[in-house]
Amino acid sequence: MSIAWTNRMLLLVALGLAALYLFPLYWMYVTSLKTGSEIFATPPGMFPASPQWSNFVYVWETRNMGRFLWNSTIIASGTMALTAILGTGCAYVLARYRNGWIDLALFLVLMLQVLPASLMITPIFVGFSQIGLLNYPQLAVILAVTAKAMPFFVVLVRATFMSVPGELEEAALVDGNSRIGAFWFIVLPLARNGILVSAILIFMQAFGEFVYSKSMIQASELQPASVGLNTFMGPNTTEWGNIMAYATIYVTPILAAFVLLQRRIVSGLTSGALK
Amino acid sequence: MSRLLSSLRDGKGFDIVLVAVPLAFLLVFSGLPLIYNVVMSFQAVDMFSLGTFNRPWVGFKNYVDVFSLPATWPIMRNTVIFVVCSIAGQFVIGFALALFFARGFPGSSYIRGLFLASWVMPGLVVGAMWNWILAGDFGVLNYALRSLGIISENIFWASNPAWSLWAVIVANIWLGISFNMILLSVGLAAIPRDLYEAAALDGANGLQKFWTITLPMMRSTIGAVISLGLIFTLQQFDLFASITSGGPANSSNVAQYWAWEMSFRQYDFAKGATISVVMIAVVMIASVIYVRSTRHEVRG
Amino acid sequence: MKTIKSLMGSGTLAVSLFALTSMASAQHIVVWSLDKEHQPAYNLAREFHDLDNGITVEYREVHFEDVVSESMRAFATGQAPDIIAIDNPEHALFAARGAFLDITDMVAASDVIDPDNYFPGPLNSVSWEGKLYGLPKATNTIALYYNKDMFAAKGLDPESPPATWEELVEAARTLNDPENNVYGIAFSARASEEGTFQFLPWAQMAGGGYENLNAPGVVEALDIWKLFIDERLASPDTLTRGQWTSTGTFNAGNAAMAISGPWELNRMVEEAQFDWGVALLPVPGEDAERSSAMGDFNWAIFSTSKNPEAAFKALEYFASQDHRLFPEWGQLPARSDVELPETGEPLKDAALKVFLEQLQYAQARGPHPEWPRISKAIQDAIQSALTGQATTQAALDQAASTIQGILGN
Repeated sequence: MSIAWTNRMLLLVALGLAALYLFPLYWMYVTSLKTGSEIFATPPGMFPASPQWSNFVYVWETRNMGRFLWNSTIIASGTMALTAILGTGCAYVLARYRNGWIDLALFLVLMLQVLPASLMITPIFVGFSQIGLLNYPQLAVILAVTAKAMPFFVVLVRATFMSVPGELEEAALVDGNSRIGAFWFIVLPLARNGILVSAILIFMQAFGEFVYSKSMIQASELQPASVGLNTFMGPNTTEWGNIMAYATIYVTPILAAFVLLQRRIVSGLTSGALK
Repeated sequence: MSRLLSSLRDGKGFDIVLVAVPLAFLLVFSGLPLIYNVVMSFQAVDMFSLGTFNRPWVGFKNYVDVFSLPATWPIMRNTVIFVVCSIAGQFVIGFALALFFARGFPGSSYIRGLFLASWVMPGLVVGAMWNWILAGDFGVLNYALRSLGIISENIFWASNPAWSLWAVIVANIWLGISFNMILLSVGLAAIPRDLYEAAALDGANGLQKFWTITLPMMRSTIGAVISLGLIFTLQQFDLFASITSGGPANSSNVAQYWAWEMSFRQYDFAKGATISVVMIAVVMIASVIYVRSTRHEVRG
Repeated sequence: MKTIKSLMGSGTLAVSLFALTSMASAQHIVVWSLDKEHQPAYNLAREFHDLDNGITVEYREVHFEDVVSESMRAFATGQAPDIIAIDNPEHALFAARGAFLDITDMVAASDVIDPDNYFPGPLNSVSWEGKLYGLPKATNTIALYYNKDMFAAKGLDPESPPATWEELVEAARTLNDPENNVYGIAFSARASEEGTFQFLPWAQMAGGGYENLNAPGVVEALDIWKLFIDERLASPDTLTRGQWTSTGTFNAGNAAMAISGPWELNRMVEEAQFDWGVALLPVPGEDAERSSAMGDFNWAIFSTSKNPEAAFKALEYFASQDHRLFPEWGQLPARSDVELPETGEPLKDAALKVFLEQLQYAQARGPHPEWPRISKAIQDAIQSALTGQATTQAALDQAASTIQGILGN
């Protein structure tokens, strides 16, 4: 069997697996184009009979999606920035040493995030309202979501720092750099890809955040798209086509950006710093 | 003062600041809410005293009450099944995919990127999607299985107590494949090529290479992936809310959903908090295991 | 259609505007309700805001499932709204604890509101220990929808729908047609308030109730539900889906009968491609007592309101517009003095007559401050019996003893 042939087989298998995996996503797209009765038809149609492209225009116009998506972007960017600023240093130190204190810190970082947001929201709401943070609802959400996103970021970036050879940092120190200097000029640039990619992953997750935003942001002009989506998802909805059109508009830009950037993202994570 | 400054710039102080600031942040924004839950689990709470700590103490009464409920043990069992099977499924599939894409055939990195799709989908949408796919009468999964001749009669994934928990597990595995696959890919890429080459010279076959090189070298990554999987799985809430609501008859109920149900459906906040504290205790044990697993890591 | 869509668009924009302009005013009230742009509370709140009477209104839409948890959290932190729309069985939870304002005296002094005009069931749900803690916002109940075309096709008389439980079971068996994806009947036995809402009328008709849940008639009622599921006369998904989704399958022609309320009418007129009718809920036997569920939300003022007079004025305004509830928004006012005009849609008008008759037998759930726990016991019994985890008798015995414990007997 020639190498080219093997590669073609592998590619075929990969495409098959991806098709299987992406089916729920495909189903969302198809549903957004179906009419109301088509959605509940038996047997289900694999393609929309008469694509309802107007769903998209309708949803965009009546649902103020521009504003909602902008709010989502603010919250996701804020979360990403704060997580990266706080988490990078933490991950660096946790990767640099091996002792009981480091164990304790790692343990705390993971442990503190165990409960789902739906259980954390009451104490956070009560606490935030007492210190007046609820008057700045988007900031409040950013802080809460950052706390939630931290362990994932730290674990990921810590792995990146682990792959930066310690000798390089030591050499920099011998050359007369301070710790800050060595960190800033040597270690950080080497881990840049991993940090960037982890931050993007955090951005993506924060972009869909729902539980905290729903309870803490009461003014509709400040709410993110997830809350906007929820307001017409209630138990008595008839608008599944519109809901999925909304979801499609919500998810697609970020997915598209991802597919375009993904070679860099994936290689940023997988190549390691110096490999 | 200058010693302090120079330590911050060039000594232990630098490390301490880097760790202490984020930890303080976490303690305030996650630790205090946890403590609030722990305190509530020892108190009598009602909706009107949610905003204060000044409530009657009841000792371990809430714990005794929770553990004497007939629903408790089945739900604990469900939680264990859910967590173990979700993590195992995500991990095995994620690892298999990571190994598969690590072969580096043309196009592999493009297609691998697609496998992060479940990461970008908001939980709300994922829940609604799976709710439809799994619907009994008009769901597309039943349709596919019937067309392939695997089943002869519709399976009511969400409403049949024998299947309901598995319906959520399947959806959750799908959700978790993305980060498992990516993190494990990262770990695989970090293994030096020459190790494999040396093993090949010694005549090792694929399986031997996997056991003697891949697994040991991946130790820390695997620890990280599994502990993150544990956290994400225990935090999983949307899927329960949209697919089964924990039913029918608690057959798919798990601790985190149950705690929420106690607090926000029956307004029994103390019991809700108690269940969440029990959950935390279990997770603490699991976290210790992860931290110990990082003991033997070697830095780059 | 185009204009309606663009109107709705401007409506969403306006909500932010009228929330912002209102900040500076002296008499400012906050209203929380589950109503969306095309439903009454949203529009009435806006109209009241526009009245130029020195009172400004800020409206927030709260999801059906979140009303209680959001308002508890807000109340506990001193941020409760002035006015809230709350589901009627949960009214007593707040009223009994003094979280709602006692408006008995304000109502007595009011020229607009007269408690005698309200149906007894809804009025009962806003009362606690002889005092009024709110006003019914609207009301509804459940009855039996049936597909007349399917009745005719299966040789049943479309003009005499099933009147007793026995007839109902027989009709369901006759109409059931798995080959064509048609179930005999659709209802909801979901583990939520909806399941309780659907089951209690059956229990009450059989001489039971939430205080007497293991009466022989109640066991019989639950046995019939179980029969529907076991014989596949109803979809197994009945256990997990709500009334709206269940009735959706009726509209799509996948169920021949459905038990649900008047909130379905508008959608059914639009979607159902067949002739349908509505009948009173079947009773256990020829001369059994009728009963039905009483649904929908109530208005209440939080006791923490800084502007209770202004809030009450808003309630007066809402009540004064009750005659518009049905023609404009398709909801039933909870009042006997409001005439419901003909809609000109014959199916809807005929259905409305049945619902109005059924409403006379509607009973409030509770009122009891521990209602959510009582309801949970009922849901548990339904679910464990229907999944076969316990016999109907054992499940109801268990629930009855739990409820007795809650009631303190």
